[in-house]
Amino acid sequence: MPFIKEILKYDSLSIVGLEKNVGKTECLNYILYRLPLHQKKVAVTSIGIDGENKDQVTSTKKPEIFLREGMYFSTAEAHYKERRLVSELVEITDERSSLGRIVTAKVSVGGKALISGPSSGVSLRRWVAGVQKFGIGLTIIDGAISRLSSASPAISKAMVLSTGAAFSSNINTLVQKTKFVVEMIGLPKLEDDSRDTLCDIESGVWGVDFEGNIIDFKLTSALALSSLKTDITAGMKLIYTVGALTDKLLNLVADSRNVKEVTLVVKDFTKIFVGEQAYRIFCARGGKIKVLQKSKLVAVCVNPTAPNGYVLDSDILCEKLQDALGLPVYDIVKNNYDI
Amino acid sequence: MTFKSALDIDCGIRYMFETLDIMSPCGRKMLLASQMMQTKRELDFHYRRLNEIYDKDCTQIAAKLMCLKDVQTTIGRLEAGVVLDDIELFEIKYLSIVSGEVRELLEQQRIVAVGLPELDAVVQILDPDSLNIPSFYVYDSYSDELRNIRKQMRALQGNGEELPDEKRAELAVLLQKNADLELEIRGDLSGRLQSYASDLALALRNLSFLDILIAKAAQMKKMGLCFPVVVEEGETFYNGMFNPAVKAVLAEAGREFHPVDIAFERDPITIIGANMGGKSVVLKSLALNQLLAQFGFGVAAHDCCVNLVDEVALCIGDEQSIVKGVSSFAGEIMAIDAVIRKIREGRSLLALIDEPARTTNPVEGTALVEGLLDVIGQVRGGFVLTTHYNILNDKVKRYRVKGLVNGVMDYTLQQTHCGEVPHEAIAIAESLGIDPQWIECTKKNLNN
Repeated sequence: MPFIKEILKYDSLSIVGLEKNVGKTECLNYILYRLPLHQKKVAVTSIGIDGENKDQVTSTKKPEIFLREGMYFSTAEAHYKERRLVSELVEITDERSSLGRIVTAKVSVGGKALISGPSSGVSLRRWVAGVQKFGIGLTIIDGAISRLSSASPAISKAMVLSTGAAFSSNINTLVQKTKFVVEMIGLPKLEDDSRDTLCDIESGVWGVDFEGNIIDFKLTSALALSSLKTDITAGMKLIYTVGALTDKLLNLVADSRNVKEVTLVVKDFTKIFVGEQAYRIFCARGGKIKVLQKSKLVAVCVNPTAPNGYVLDSDILCEKLQDALGLPVYDIVKNNYDI
Repeated sequence: MTFKSALDIDCGIRYMFETLDIMSPCGRKMLLASQMMQTKRELDFHYRRLNEIYDKDCTQIAAKLMCLKDVQTTIGRLEAGVVLDDIELFEIKYLSIVSGEVRELLEQQRIVAVGLPELDAVVQILDPDSLNIPSFYVYDSYSDELRNIRKQMRALQGNGEELPDEKRAELAVLLQKNADLELEIRGDLSGRLQSYASDLALALRNLSFLDILIAKAAQMKKMGLCFPVVVEEGETFYNGMFNPAVKAVLAEAGREFHPVDIAFERDPITIIGANMGGKSVVLKSLALNQLLAQFGFGVAAHDCCVNLVDEVALCIGDEQSIVKGVSSFAGEIMAIDAVIRKIREGRSLLALIDEPARTTNPVEGTALVEGLLDVIGQVRGGFVLTTHYNILNDKVKRYRVKGLVNGVMDYTLQQTHCGEVPHEAIAIAESLGIDPQWIECTKKNLNN
């Protein structure tokens, strides 16, 4: 299994599912089981509740998270008390969740536990920074649906994507939808002199002209575009939106005369909230999107079984996805891979 | 009055709180709940302790206090004989370790302002392997049986492979035994720790207090605050009084704060002077510094003497309340009425009133202010008002803002004996660059 070795090249990893029940937890267990702990100290947390017996929404059976001896994990107080392993409490953090304070512990006798860590992007960043004092070599964040933010390169440098029949039961749709997400993750990084300056900007929509001057369009976000009276693309090399990139801004650029000259820039792929169709039109007219920070997509894992019982053919699914994505795709449950 | 309620007084006290670098949440909680000190004895003792901290370099101690957590509830539970869980025992151990480290630093620096109980015994109970690291679990060394069970668990569990049913059942039994034993041991530990509950509470309290003292001392140095002399009867005076919140706003605009001198005893004070001459800022600074002095902070002045009061009443701005159906005039008059009542009750009160009766006609307004000064007479604590009216009462100490000198505002407070107010409103309006035609017509009307 090559992707464990790949993961070890990074110091932070997030695992993100495109939908519930796409086998994200299995994927996490798969990784946790195989990580060589003598090489790197590992800390795990999750932004949702993970490791529970049953899915909270669909009541389907879910695998539990197994933590091995020597691993660090962070979870809410209430869940810490329910752990089924022996662990040494090393820190009570200042982060809070609805289930109490988040505590960090080191596993002393391996076993299963419920993991529910910090949930906001900022608190996750603090968590990653905070566990470094224990000499952690790899932080793993288990992301949740519709919260791609945990995969932001500002928080984790590498990511594993989970997709499956739960996302769509039609192989073609599934492949197409997954491909779009992977395409966004793979958007090229901006190479421009203005990059460092843009990285420091905290809000608004900004432009960079061909002389390299940075212009503030005085928009609080891309959502305030309707207040614009002038064509912001005129004379611009780059247009940078710090917040979300929506269809509105994308269409505005796609419809402008300068669509071929101007490049849209976003912080990272988690800020992109555009529909595939709008994106395709934008691209067809010669539009380009670049990111300031890029995540490394290490692998794509699939679960061919949907919670409603529908099962796709694993081999065909993997093959089609692999062809479309140009990336290795794994069905972890079916193939009991070795390292 | 608690510090928390004092924060609502709009005089810049909130700014002082926000810029105070208290490291721990329990320090902040303690300060917010603290009562305004009202006796010289109490305050002298407090400032002696603050003075000691002020002279020492406390950066190392402050860094330790950053780790202090509020574990009051846990200590309460320990005292009540509850069996603590892992997290709570961790908190107790952590507090004891932090307290021990700070205690050592205090000894090194020979600081006696705050004393901490010795908690080595607590650490020993919770650190059977003498690892001296701030972490906790029910260690194997508490019981051979526990060690044995965990060994078996480890052997069964492996790396988390799927287990056959019978092994899973075996593991479940071991997990249960482990949990039962842990509970028993935690019960025993909680019992042994119970007698230290009051020491732990004292340690938490004194560490929080130390945190506050260090933050106050640091703020004094950063803002250039002074130690006040406090008296229970006599004159209040400030030399070089300023208001850090206003000073910060001015500094941002590239301007400087002009400190002022003021002194008063029981006779009421009136401050007259040009608009924008800083009269309201003087009132706010007086309120702020009275509060700072009585809550044991550094005071924003070069040097000062503060007469202690029971209460600070600051009537500033518009008391109008549409919700209560009160006009600005009624709101103001009612607020002043409350002050008069308190003075009549013989309470010692620092009353600071900004331009009373300004929202009504100047004839009645003047009469109302003169009447107010007559009726209150002498005030234990002090009574300062600002006004634009010509007030002719005797037995009033008068200050005047120096005002425009060559077109530049001089904020200096000068003592004066006449009540005649300065006529600088038009000049100031002109300097603000307002409509010249308006100014011209105004001047014409004035000359007629």
